[in-house]
Amino acid sequence: MKRRVCVVGAALSDGPVTPELTPRMLEAQAFRRALDDAGMEKSQVDGLASAGYGGMHEVQLAEYLGLQPHWLDSTSCGGSSFEFHLLHAYRAIEAGDVDTVAIVYGNTQLSTSGRSLGTGQQFVLTGPWAYEFPTGITLVGCYALAAQRHMHQYGTTSAQLASIAVQIREHAARNPHAMYRDPITVDEVLESKLVADPLHKLDCCVISDGGCAVILTTEERALDLAHRPIYVRSAAAGMTHHSVQAMPDLTQTAAAFTGPKAFAEAGIAPADVDTFQMYDSFTYTVLVCLEDLGFCAKGEGGPFAASGALRLDGALPTNTDGGGLSATHPGMRGLFLICEATRQLRGEAGDAQVEGAEIAVAHGSGGWLSTMGTAVLGTEPVR
Amino acid sequence: MTDTPKHIIPRVTPEAKEYFDGAVRGELRIQRCTTCRLHQHYPRSACAHCGADTLEWITASGRGTVLSFTVIRQHGVPPFDAWVPFVVALVELEEFGARMLATMPSLAPEAARIGMPVVAAFRPATERVAFVDFRSADAVAG
Repeated sequence: MKRRVCVVGAALSDGPVTPELTPRMLEAQAFRRALDDAGMEKSQVDGLASAGYGGMHEVQLAEYLGLQPHWLDSTSCGGSSFEFHLLHAYRAIEAGDVDTVAIVYGNTQLSTSGRSLGTGQQFVLTGPWAYEFPTGITLVGCYALAAQRHMHQYGTTSAQLASIAVQIREHAARNPHAMYRDPITVDEVLESKLVADPLHKLDCCVISDGGCAVILTTEERALDLAHRPIYVRSAAAGMTHHSVQAMPDLTQTAAAFTGPKAFAEAGIAPADVDTFQMYDSFTYTVLVCLEDLGFCAKGEGGPFAASGALRLDGALPTNTDGGGLSATHPGMRGLFLICEATRQLRGEAGDAQVEGAEIAVAHGSGGWLSTMGTAVLGTEPVR
Repeated sequence: MTDTPKHIIPRVTPEAKEYFDGAVRGELRIQRCTTCRLHQHYPRSACAHCGADTLEWITASGRGTVLSFTVIRQHGVPPFDAWVPFVVALVELEEFGARMLATMPSLAPEAARIGMPVVAAFRPATERVAFVDFRSADAVAG
């Protein structure tokens, strides 16, 4: 019989601005806190997953932490890497290849590179970048191309996109660690500087420092630990393209595959989801994934979001920690989604708690709407 | 847009040479698969549509349609920082299956439209590399 898999530890490092710390220090800090949160010893961790920027990052991290894991996952496919890690760890623990996996990430994007990620990055001219970078396209511009097409095809408006930023900022106001906490209005989003039409500055995520760690283990071990176990009910991952010119349909992502697959395996329908932790690199990322995951019909993401669905008392409380749009985004954010989903299901989300949350979805997006990973977590296992 | 700093000049790899040689001559060279008959850009050693390695080079008409566009208004890297605001369009070429991302330097941002007909325009950079921009087909006709 397959073993059930649970999230037993979840913690953040210091953040969102940590100029005195290195990425490795943030990772070590988050890992230590996740172990303490789980009530586990380092010696119990026999698997490690992380994503970085090459240079055998994950191997260096294992050494830094004093781990000699016999299971290692260094899938590095952008911000959704950590949902890929969760999928791989879930299957490996289920199958008995490994018992306890730590997924760890930390980055000092803000302190090291400033706010250059979206519009000031110099890409190495290999592969598709040889044809894309010389056009002057930016990371924000790639998302903007997709958003523009969605507006053209479905009548989506800038105000509807803006409403996503407004609602997620409301959640950030409840998070003392969020980078920006002052309320904003739709008009303020629309009046903020256009970075790449149709995306305004406030349609874009923040750039921060920060780290996170999540620990997964068997149900058998989880039942001996301090917290109630949070079950991995399912996970799925996929990709459609690297460069935006190869995106098969600008208005649809791989979430149209990962969502239905993950929800079916978890035995749930979109309406069963109590809280949604979504990689909000841009407001448009949220909008298109709301549709692709089936929370609303294709083309209805604008009206659905603008209806207030993402609020704490809405149909689908989304990014309850303030998300990447307002709270923290240290280069890649996928792991933070799993952490917040876990906190919600444990009832530890404080002022942002969704009452009685039993099913949470964490959905990561990486690259330029390129790679997608969906995880369904729950207070109960799939029966 | 005449300055071409080295960091935006791609290395001409073996699969890309035909494309860049063509661009230098003022021709848009793309690949066509003789198995599935679809076209592709950027150049690869196999067809990204069907997987066959039966690719031939053709000279595209240079005509296409804007599938989507954005106006880049903030850019931290030269020479683009001096270009803003400028239009970058995703162009669907007349040759089915092929798309190109391209700058539209002569198009006023407020004139950009999805669906607008466009034609290729070549911008020499070095002896071995030229960039393929697009401009409004209507402006060419006018």
